[in-house]
Amino acid sequence: MAWEPIIWIIFSVLNLALLGLNFYQFLGFSDLEADYLNPYELSSRINSVIVLEYLLHGVFCIMFLVTGHWVMFLVSLPPAYYNLKQYLSKQHLVDVTEVFRVLNAEKKVRLVKLGFYVVFFGLVITRLALSVVFVVFGDDDEAIHWFG
Amino acid sequence: MGTENPNPPSYPVRPAATPFAAMQSTPPFLSSGPVAGSESSSFRPVPPASSQFRAPPFSSGPVVGSEVPAFRPPPSGRSNELVGPPPSSSSSSSHGPPAAGFQRFPTPSLPSVGHAVPQRTGQPVLSPTTRPAAGTVASPPISLLSQPQPPSIPMGSPPPSMKTGQVNGNIPPPAHQLLSSSRPNVQPSSPPVRPSYVTTPGISQATIPGYVNAQPNTVAQAQPMQPASFTLQQRGYAPGAPPTPFLAQQRSVNPPSLYSGNQMQHHVVAPPTATSPGLAEDFSSLSLGSVPGSFNAGIDNAALPRPLDGDVEPKSLAEMYPMNCSSRSLRLTTSGIPSSMSLASRWHLPLGAIVCPLAEPPAGEEVPIVNFVTTGIIRCKRCRTYVNPFVSFTDNGRKWKCNICSILNDVPGDYFAHVDASGRRVDLDQRPELTQGTIEFIAPAEYMVRPPMPPLYFFLIDVSISAVKSGMIEVMAQTIKSCLDSLPGYPRTQIGFITYDSTIHFYNMKSSLMQPQMMVVSDLDDVFIPLPDDLLVNLSESRNVVDAFLDSLPSMFQDNTNVESALGSALKAAFTVMRQLGGKLLIFQNTLPSLGVGRLRLRGDDIRVYGTDKEPASRAPEDPFYKQMAADLTKYQIAVNIYAFSDKYTDIASLGTLAKYTGGQVYYYPSFQASIHKDKLRHELTRDLTRETAWEAVMRIRCSKGVRFTNYHGNFMLRSTDLLALPAVDCDKAYAAQLSLEETLLTMQTVYFQVALLYTSSSGERRIRVHTAAAPVVADLGEMYRLADTGAIISLLSRLAIEKSLSHKLEDTRNAVQLRIVKTLREYRNLYAVQHRLSGKMIYPESLKFLPLYGLALCKSLPLRGGYADAQIDERCAAGYTMMALPVKKLLKLLYPNLVRVDYSVVNLSPQTDESNIIRKRLPLTADCLDTRGLYIFDDGFRFIIWFGRSISPDVVRNLVGEDFTGDYSKVSLSPRDNEMSRKLMKILDKFRESDPSYYQLCHLVRQADQPREGFFLLGNLVDDQNGGANSYADWILQLHRQIQQNT
Repeated sequence: MAWEPIIWIIFSVLNLALLGLNFYQFLGFSDLEADYLNPYELSSRINSVIVLEYLLHGVFCIMFLVTGHWVMFLVSLPPAYYNLKQYLSKQHLVDVTEVFRVLNAEKKVRLVKLGFYVVFFGLVITRLALSVVFVVFGDDDEAIHWFG
Repeated sequence: MGTENPNPPSYPVRPAATPFAAMQSTPPFLSSGPVAGSESSSFRPVPPASSQFRAPPFSSGPVVGSEVPAFRPPPSGRSNELVGPPPSSSSSSSHGPPAAGFQRFPTPSLPSVGHAVPQRTGQPVLSPTTRPAAGTVASPPISLLSQPQPPSIPMGSPPPSMKTGQVNGNIPPPAHQLLSSSRPNVQPSSPPVRPSYVTTPGISQATIPGYVNAQPNTVAQAQPMQPASFTLQQRGYAPGAPPTPFLAQQRSVNPPSLYSGNQMQHHVVAPPTATSPGLAEDFSSLSLGSVPGSFNAGIDNAALPRPLDGDVEPKSLAEMYPMNCSSRSLRLTTSGIPSSMSLASRWHLPLGAIVCPLAEPPAGEEVPIVNFVTTGIIRCKRCRTYVNPFVSFTDNGRKWKCNICSILNDVPGDYFAHVDASGRRVDLDQRPELTQGTIEFIAPAEYMVRPPMPPLYFFLIDVSISAVKSGMIEVMAQTIKSCLDSLPGYPRTQIGFITYDSTIHFYNMKSSLMQPQMMVVSDLDDVFIPLPDDLLVNLSESRNVVDAFLDSLPSMFQDNTNVESALGSALKAAFTVMRQLGGKLLIFQNTLPSLGVGRLRLRGDDIRVYGTDKEPASRAPEDPFYKQMAADLTKYQIAVNIYAFSDKYTDIASLGTLAKYTGGQVYYYPSFQASIHKDKLRHELTRDLTRETAWEAVMRIRCSKGVRFTNYHGNFMLRSTDLLALPAVDCDKAYAAQLSLEETLLTMQTVYFQVALLYTSSSGERRIRVHTAAAPVVADLGEMYRLADTGAIISLLSRLAIEKSLSHKLEDTRNAVQLRIVKTLREYRNLYAVQHRLSGKMIYPESLKFLPLYGLALCKSLPLRGGYADAQIDERCAAGYTMMALPVKKLLKLLYPNLVRVDYSVVNLSPQTDESNIIRKRLPLTADCLDTRGLYIFDDGFRFIIWFGRSISPDVVRNLVGEDFTGDYSKVSLSPRDNEMSRKLMKILDKFRESDPSYYQLCHLVRQADQPREGFFLLGNLVDDQNGGANSYADWILQLHRQIQQNT
């Protein structure tokens, strides 16, 4: 069963990408606040990556579901729900005219997401390590059941 | 809703700004003689000018007046009493403790920076006698010289028995450095005064001349008045007024003539209560209900405060800081900046400022222009503050200290001037930037990112069938043509035109042509711009072509039957043409944009959504295209003014965003008909085209460390956290900003604000308009209330409410406004009510006496009123956009319009009637004051409603309206006729219009009981009355009062 570590490697790469995207957005908002970036650039930057981020997270979720990692799937569900809600109410894009009003709220959202992905990344890496251990030593599957 | 009222009650007309006048004699109405007076002087900052002493040190006078009789009988007891309360520096600065009454030095005039702490229990009564005292300042005590001279007392130790008195008299707080020189002179004379003061008034007066002579310095200005008032009091008492209750004394002692009518109207004295013998505080109150033995639970309607004098700006700040910029340009919601976050959180009204950077100075005044050619503009190196009157020069003039960040900057060599002993530069009188709060700097090249742009006007004209039918095109073309000569910026002015229906028409106006060339582009998805260089031309070069175009424009499209309108695509085309230069884009839109990008759909005004969560969406912009477009337009310095004319739904909510984010303005003419509305359109378009405009501007408000402007409200786009991008600004635009504290405790005494507007003038100069103002930091909530400015508060509050209404239900928005007022007044009540046992009264600070009424007017204003049926959605949105940009005075007029009766002056045929008098006689906005025999004008700054009473003489009507005076008034217009009455009325209307040229008031004639016209135009707008489910003023007050009393 060598594909288990491979899946976890894919997960960790995805997770890293999400982490990076969020950090990029957070950075954009901080730059805007410090006047290193004007609202036009910020909105075009963020609006160009936000859908990508949502899609990536969707893929992330579905892959957990497909590969049968229920607990991980459930943990990744709340952000997915948030994303979907934003997208459906058309509030996911940054409104260049009103960006300063939502600046603090948006920054907070990015920060929370950032924290979430960091924690999640820890989980994924642990699982990756465990799966590698499992593959290498082959016989002890207790550790994996620990994490579902 | 009938308006019949054969016997209208007589409302207090002119002085009725102060319904308190009527209440004066009725004890329940409390107010604050002395403290209101203190508004003017309690805040003297440390500074330089000796002029501050002009302020009447009112405290001592009255205290003498009231205290003397009480303490007269046992002199020893008196002196004990006097020594008792130590003159704490804070309280003595505003109202002396009893001791102050006997001091020779009126402490209040001293420049102690402390905040005037409102008096608390235990302090003596300060009676309205302050007024007479102040009044006597003007009259020097020369007459006193005739009083018998006392034997001159030799220098030396006073009689031992006087010791207490002397100590007392010389207790002045430590800050009294200024007086030190005069003190020795006065001392010898003061001991004898004191005993005589108690026993024989004559002698005490007599000492005054010597006293005055002993004051060679500036203090003398303030000093004489004290003895003078004292004298008056004494004289008053001489007949032997017995120590009767306080109020009675007041009346008997003060000759009525001393009250200068205006001053006294607001100041009613608190009745003495058993517990606190006559505490006078600085609040006003209204008796509400629960009058024993009375069934009428209501209020005296006529006694409610009404702003019949229009907007009265608080003067206190300007007096405190004479170098502040005018309140036209900057108005703070309260001039007392809270010293701590906890204090700020108890201030439930918005804290902030209304800024009108280009406010027109009154005739005869001009903003001084300064050009620093050699030194460059002097600015702080750290916070970039511009040099202003509040900076101080140190190090013998080589350094200047920034008033905002306190850093020391070097003075450039060419700007150097010596400073004299008092720290003033010797060349102060040649430096307007160091003496004037408002100044204009000529900006050198480093303030330009590109060469200054020429004034540019671009017209985007909808020529679909409705535009042709309404006659809009003709009026507009004529108006533009008549304005061509007066467009600012000749000879650099640029101009261009695009017309559109389902296709887009470009006009080549090259100066070599005789006639404009029209080019039609029908591909709306990818607009191709033909001849991009010749679409925008220099007006002076192509004048003939432009004239020819405007002449032929109405006839060109008169047979157009196209009903479509491709605004979005035309907008993009105009944007492409203009983006090189920027400028002003005027859009004349007649129908809902129906083709191409940015097409809008009929949405919104569905009666079923009202009251549901979907309701606010109809007021919010729908298509993001317009927002995005607005952002792009702003980026390229293009301002958009929308002129909308449709009789059907046009989605102003979406179109208006174009104006909102580009610093423009929305003009809305519902159901435009050239025959009726042409004057209005002509006037407003002319004003838009010819008023002085500032181009490609940015504005920033700087303020001292510790406070920060966080939110901005108005028509602009934020380019960074505190930089407002304004492609075009003019005097009719104001911006609001909310202030918040960044530090939990402010350590400084004064907060400075500096508004800087960097712009290109029409003449092609880059300039910076700088307004600087200072405001004191206060540690006391009562002080914040006292320094509050209702006009600014309402202006900010209405902007917040309108913004809220875009995302919340109208009902919730109105409740939020009401809640804020309730919280404010409840907090205020908590400050004062307990100690006064004012359970049955509503109390409010004098400065906020109109707040409830304006709050009610705001809830009844077009953007917030009622529900579905009360206003059309487009009118709501248009009014909302307009109110977001209005300066304070115009907003207040819109909220509480003028209502005046004119039949007397129209009928009275003597040619010498003064129109301005009529204008000032404003009436309360209630149907009760409409007389059936009268003729009234209702003026909200945007339109006139002329109301004809039912029993008005037919002659008058015939003279004014013409022969068809019995017909349908919606079809009758008021035009000048050849008779005296008509001319008179026109003169009055012109007078009204002159007072505010920014909009044109179109006359709507309304006859009494001519429903529904009367209800729509007039009765629905009478703020004081109950209308459309909204409260009447009296009910509103009762409701507020009930809510205030809950949870207290």
